[in-house]
Amino acid sequence: MFHKKENTAAALAVTKNNYVPVDTDFVFKDNAGEIEIDTNFASQSFWKEVVIRFVHKKSAVFGIVMILFITFMAILGPNMNSYSYSGQILEQKSLAPRVQGLENMGIFNGDEKMHTSTGIKVVNNYKEKGFDDVYYWFGSDNFGRDIWTRTWHGARVSLIIAVVAAIIDMIIGMSYGLISGYFGGKVDMLMQRFLEVANSIPRLVIVTLLLLVLKPGMVTIIIALMLTEWVGMSRIARAEMLKLKEQEFVLASRTLGAGSFFIIFKEVLPNIIGPIITQVMFSIPTAIFTEAFLSFVGLGIPVPECSLGSLISDGFNSFTTHPYQIVSPIIVMALLMLSFNLVADGLREALDPKMKEM
Amino acid sequence: MKKYVAKRVITAIFTLLVILLVLFILMQLMPGSPFNDEKLNADQKAALYAKYGLDQPVFIQFFRYVGNMLRGDFGVSYNISKNTPISQLIATRLPVSIAIGGFAVAIGAVIGLILGLIAAFRHDTILDTICTIISVIGVSVPSYVFALALSYQFGYVWQVFPMLYNSAEALNSSVLPSVSLSMFTMASIARFTRTEMLEVLGSEYMLLAESKGISGASLIFRHALRNALIPIITVLAPLIVDLMTGSLVVEKIFAIPGVGSLLVNAIQSNDYNVVISLSFIYSALYIAIMLVVDILYGIIDPRIRLAKDNG
Repeated sequence: MFHKKENTAAALAVTKNNYVPVDTDFVFKDNAGEIEIDTNFASQSFWKEVVIRFVHKKSAVFGIVMILFITFMAILGPNMNSYSYSGQILEQKSLAPRVQGLENMGIFNGDEKMHTSTGIKVVNNYKEKGFDDVYYWFGSDNFGRDIWTRTWHGARVSLIIAVVAAIIDMIIGMSYGLISGYFGGKVDMLMQRFLEVANSIPRLVIVTLLLLVLKPGMVTIIIALMLTEWVGMSRIARAEMLKLKEQEFVLASRTLGAGSFFIIFKEVLPNIIGPIITQVMFSIPTAIFTEAFLSFVGLGIPVPECSLGSLISDGFNSFTTHPYQIVSPIIVMALLMLSFNLVADGLREALDPKMKEM
Repeated sequence: MKKYVAKRVITAIFTLLVILLVLFILMQLMPGSPFNDEKLNADQKAALYAKYGLDQPVFIQFFRYVGNMLRGDFGVSYNISKNTPISQLIATRLPVSIAIGGFAVAIGAVIGLILGLIAAFRHDTILDTICTIISVIGVSVPSYVFALALSYQFGYVWQVFPMLYNSAEALNSSVLPSVSLSMFTMASIARFTRTEMLEVLGSEYMLLAESKGISGASLIFRHALRNALIPIITVLAPLIVDLMTGSLVVEKIFAIPGVGSLLVNAIQSNDYNVVISLSFIYSALYIAIMLVVDILYGIIDPRIRLAKDNG
């Protein structure tokens, strides 16, 4: 940092005369402009790098924005107008979507196409029945319930079911896999045989049998999802545990006298949290799908509650005459599943850039 | 190899027995007895119980039950069509479901393979992106959404294909359900093909093949695809099973007289006997397919077999 002002020959001469150096003999080089951090090779913390890689993937960012938007709407959407999700106004049944403002632009004005024997006819039930000040943003269903409110309420129910089920799955599957992988030997053998048997029973069979025994409802659906989805999670946890348990930090912890459960949950678990979060993200859309499927089969959430699945299954009965009744829940559900998959893909790539998975 | 096969077969049989046990317990827990007729007096009931072996100890009943199930005697339906043997109900419906599922697998596998190959060979181009987008959508959007969309557009608006299944023109009315079912298979196969192909294409034996002067179709199909196919086949097998179970809703949408809609009807009308029989058939099929795939995989790829034998 410092360099001498005088040239060396002069300096030597001075030294011989017992010169004592003073501060002013030295000046700073003032090279702040030359010093720069090489961002290409800069070492970042692991999670910072993950975030950078994640943000670079446009599809993953799109996914997370969509998830946040739908969650936001699921929380606030049902309160945005005066209708409730279960209130029926029978005179105002099956009205097409109509939105203030947009109606003057020729869209969302309550018109709907009727296929009749003579051809396609456009009708507007709002005008015909005299509901001039009535607006159903997504239309109303066969019982005169507001589809806007019901869609967002359904999204809320579906999200709660999916997230709760995914978290319970994570806890069960993770613990099972970690314990099985850590102890190995006979314990592992027994636990893996049990898992093999459990995994050979088709998911559908478990779910239907369970629903025969229990009453349909939110808790039953969560239990059904819990029983079927933990296997994948436990496989991942076990594989990661097998990779990590021979490493030095585990040995070090054991030498220091740590117990098995301390090592499993305090030492190994924080190191495998990445793959586990990814798996949770993948299991949420599966849970949403299974819930929707159960509703379609008639084992879903009982009325007057609604979920995206039950809305789709209701709308299905009249989807040729009033397609708008099924379109909004279907779009919300498809977007939700797509977004979770995109985020999971992005996370997986961000956590493990070597992987070539699509 | 023998040890490996034996181990797999024993696991499969054990699993099947566990499932039968669960189903049997469920049957015992179901409310009511099979003979609820009020006109029956105690003696008649006792005679009926004796006739059907219900007076025997539970474990003898269990063995009898296992024997009946394995022989394909599933008992009679209580609600859907009274006193019809369930095996008869299933026999007429299973072929329909298998045909549609088979079409779907064929369509999905072929198109998925092509998409995957295109994506791998045109890696990092616009074609690759398009294939990726298609496969992400295919994996994330449920099959019945496709079914509804297709049935609205092709069946209702354009009227190209029938909206509801019609056994008189079975082929024509299988198109829409098969296509909507195939989307998931197609997307998964496309993803796996792309990943596997990229790996194979980067390997040294491909470089060797290329430097030997092999080119074009022979290079792709004989050298690259053959090696990529092994993992793809193992992915396909569980998909076939999923297709059987996942087809339930699609069968309902198109009113297909298949096993899936039978199960849905049985659930909705509380016909426990039918539900339990179908559960057994699904499980047995699932276990059988997984067993065959495991063994095939061991034959195709010796590394797996050796690893499992030792482990």
